[in-house]
Amino acid sequence: MSKFQPIAFYAKPTENSYSLLPFKFSRFTNNRILLTNMVGEYFLLEEDKFQKFVSKKLGTNESSYIDLRSKHFLKDSSNEVAIDLLALKLRTKLSRLSDFTALHIFVVSLRCEHSCPYCQVSRQSEDKQKFDMSEEIAHKAVELVFRSPSPTIKIEFQGGEPLLNFELIKYIVVRAKQINENERRNLDFVIATNLAVVTDEILQFCSENKVHISTSLDGPKELHNKNRPRKGGDSYERAISGIKFARDVLGKDQVSALMTTTEASLSKVKDIIDEYIENDFDGIFLRHLSPYGFAIKTKSYASYSTEKWLDFYKKGLEYIIEINRNGLFFQEFYASTLLKKILTSEETGFVDLMNPAGIGIAAVVYNYDGSVHPSDESRMLAEMGDDKFKLGSVLTNTYEEIFGSEALLNPLEESFSSSNPMCTDCTYELYCGADPVYHYALHNDFVGRKPESSFCNRNMSIIDYLINRMEDDPFVKKLFYKWANR
Amino acid sequence: METVKFSKAVYALQAIKKAAYKFIDKISVNIRDEGENYLVDLIFSKEISPEAKIFILSEFSKEVLDQDLRESIKTETEAYRNLILAHVFSKTPLVTDE
Amino acid sequence: MINLYGKYEKLSVSNDYSGLLKLTTNELLPFPLRKQYGLISDTAKGDGFKIVLRKNSSIPSATASIKLSEEIHHLGNGDIVSIGADNNQLRVLFRKQSNQNSILLTERCNHYCLMCSQPPKINDDSWIMEEVKELVRLIPDDTMELGFTGGEPTLYGDEFIDLLSLCKSYLPRTAIHVLSNGRSFKDFSYAKKYAALDHPDLMVGIPIYSDDPVTHNFIVQSDNAFSETIKGILNLKALGQRVEIRVVLQRYSVERLEAIANFIARNLLFVDHVALMGLEIMGFTRSNLEELWVDQYDYKDKLSNAVNLLTSYGINVSVYNHQRCLVNDDVMHAYRKSISDWKNEYLEGCNGCARMDECGGFFSSSVKYKHSEFIKPFES
Repeated sequence: MSKFQPIAFYAKPTENSYSLLPFKFSRFTNNRILLTNMVGEYFLLEEDKFQKFVSKKLGTNESSYIDLRSKHFLKDSSNEVAIDLLALKLRTKLSRLSDFTALHIFVVSLRCEHSCPYCQVSRQSEDKQKFDMSEEIAHKAVELVFRSPSPTIKIEFQGGEPLLNFELIKYIVVRAKQINENERRNLDFVIATNLAVVTDEILQFCSENKVHISTSLDGPKELHNKNRPRKGGDSYERAISGIKFARDVLGKDQVSALMTTTEASLSKVKDIIDEYIENDFDGIFLRHLSPYGFAIKTKSYASYSTEKWLDFYKKGLEYIIEINRNGLFFQEFYASTLLKKILTSEETGFVDLMNPAGIGIAAVVYNYDGSVHPSDESRMLAEMGDDKFKLGSVLTNTYEEIFGSEALLNPLEESFSSSNPMCTDCTYELYCGADPVYHYALHNDFVGRKPESSFCNRNMSIIDYLINRMEDDPFVKKLFYKWANR
Repeated sequence: METVKFSKAVYALQAIKKAAYKFIDKISVNIRDEGENYLVDLIFSKEISPEAKIFILSEFSKEVLDQDLRESIKTETEAYRNLILAHVFSKTPLVTDE
Repeated sequence: MINLYGKYEKLSVSNDYSGLLKLTTNELLPFPLRKQYGLISDTAKGDGFKIVLRKNSSIPSATASIKLSEEIHHLGNGDIVSIGADNNQLRVLFRKQSNQNSILLTERCNHYCLMCSQPPKINDDSWIMEEVKELVRLIPDDTMELGFTGGEPTLYGDEFIDLLSLCKSYLPRTAIHVLSNGRSFKDFSYAKKYAALDHPDLMVGIPIYSDDPVTHNFIVQSDNAFSETIKGILNLKALGQRVEIRVVLQRYSVERLEAIANFIARNLLFVDHVALMGLEIMGFTRSNLEELWVDQYDYKDKLSNAVNLLTSYGINVSVYNHQRCLVNDDVMHAYRKSISDWKNEYLEGCNGCARMDECGGFFSSSVKYKHSEFIKPFES
């Protein structure tokens, strides 16, 4: 019937009639160019088509033209609405930033009955006066917590071993809940504990007050106990029985575990993952090697360790993908965090991968002595003698003085990725983050030189890997969609 | 002493000074203006080895480039950066309605 | 298939027996109410009723009486009809037994979709709106759901909003589902009027046939359709209104089905529902069949990918109008046995199929004109 127009009637056929929307690009595998648009949506294009695209010579009938248009890399007269959609997506991505600090870490004691070599902060000591947070400090800190505008507040107890000062944990939980009766935020509590000294009384309190547990499980018994020595050499046994105990009382979903990666872990990634599966966890966070401690000033940490760690990570990720292919849903949480940034407009609130940097904005630490730091790593730096990021004290400074401190604002401004060489042009900028604490610790500068930065190297390598796997393997793509949306 | 030449058309003076400052613990520096170029005299301590000298020279050049880029990009992206940071702090008491 | 049109034979007439009428089988209806009703009965005298409707007998009554033709013998208690005085015709406007009463508001449309099952007409049919306003006052208020379709209902502008307001007044507990191309809502003030209704249970189903604006505009045969529809959706969502995206699956939309799913997930994540719908061989679909037809079996993997992508993103998705044997198991969480009860049939070859109770069956038009080559009964 001729009263219907053909598709050509609706296409805009002339060359040079489209404009480029903002995007970044880099070379990728197999002669392809990887593009990311203004909100971080990626697209792969053959190099010759890319050349045509940027010289405005790409034909409007070509499938790559159609894809580039619908994915918001170009604009012509048929998709005016692209601008509205990009604006909406960008606002969505940025919207949580103004909620400000959601994670409030309370270091209730530096005392610990473990003596893990990689730990920079704990003290083998019975001296509660010296190393425990006082009620006065806790009281002031809790008040500061609620000065944050965030509708969601998560209070995390750390140490040393926080359960050694359980009385104060109780005090803080009760006080926070009291204040929250008026404030009406979504209030959550979690204790980061090795569970070695957990008791029934402690778990009952947690159950009644909906406090979650996050514990340490570095891998199978030998590895875990080697990483985490304590008197009696039974850290692993106590962790496992503690997990069971906590799950029984609190519920399986209220207990999670984190690993620390050490040199000794690097050859054992499958064993570590198997340990998590055997203990019924539904995922694992394969963490990077912590640079803090004696490794910090040695440049050699950077190159040698990064390569070995990437090898560890990729082996682990492949193993996990196989596990999923064989029918068990199991996640890797660092990949999942990156995938959420790659595949959705949601923000993760993950401190290390935020721009502006997550220090202060996403997290804040109230130390046992009342000092305030904008992240856990910066607290560690302070314990090692460097006060660069110290924001003030709950005892002597106001909220405005602490969060308006130059010690916070300077690194935030200087490390802003869009203002830094290489980051500003990086295809992966929206997937990555600014980490001024890391760069200051290793390179003595909030920014560092990215080609020398193991933070940059590591993230670029992983993101490359994730995109390659997704594009090569439809099963992996489907799996990654699920991980991104958890 | 070694002298390095930086074209004025390419490098900002501020960048050279900032780079020089970063090396102040290793070398002292004298910056001269000569026509179309800046000349930078790097003065080493007597005990320095040839390898160390070469290393410092290459690091210094890298640093000048780094600082130059930081400066120009920072200026170019100022409006966007201020907008985002203002948005971040918009609900805190640090940003007042004025 | 159930007929919504029928003829009648006059047995006895009065001056005023035509117009909209509620039907009842209850002879003992209280006297004061009877003049609002037609009584369905083969024998009763029907004193006080506006009209008596016979099916199998021809006994006239003192009041007006008619004999219904065979195809509308399905009429029963609670149905609402419109009786035409001069042409011996009767239209069924509302069926109590149906859980999906869909009311056509106009045949006018500003689109001309290649697969339109209700081809647009340009005549002024605003009399329909008058009739529907009267109908809404008659529909029982325990009706669960009511649909408004066209053509394009929002061509009535403010009058359409008035109709929805009338629904809120007379049918406050009835869910309303509107089918619209959404373009009128690109005008924020119109979207605001719609939102100001503050209706307790209102959703608008808006078609998007491609992530590619040119393909979408081609399918609906209107320039700028894509941009305006999306703007309409964005306005509605900004005002907190419920929106469903409908995708009719034919050759041009199926070609980019996965891209459509991705587009929705990245750009329209906040929609309340996505409906993926099989083709009905009616109206323009019949004339364009050769161009539009694609066998459901051939795209079942694409369908799986699209459904599972949307599900991964947490979007509610439903698959309608597909036979059970033509979809993969992995879409069953979204599969709906939905074909309206007045269109639903099976093929002879379906006899003995072990999963017939899971299956939505066929449109009568599919049975008659075209269906998949791959229909096969399940053995278990």
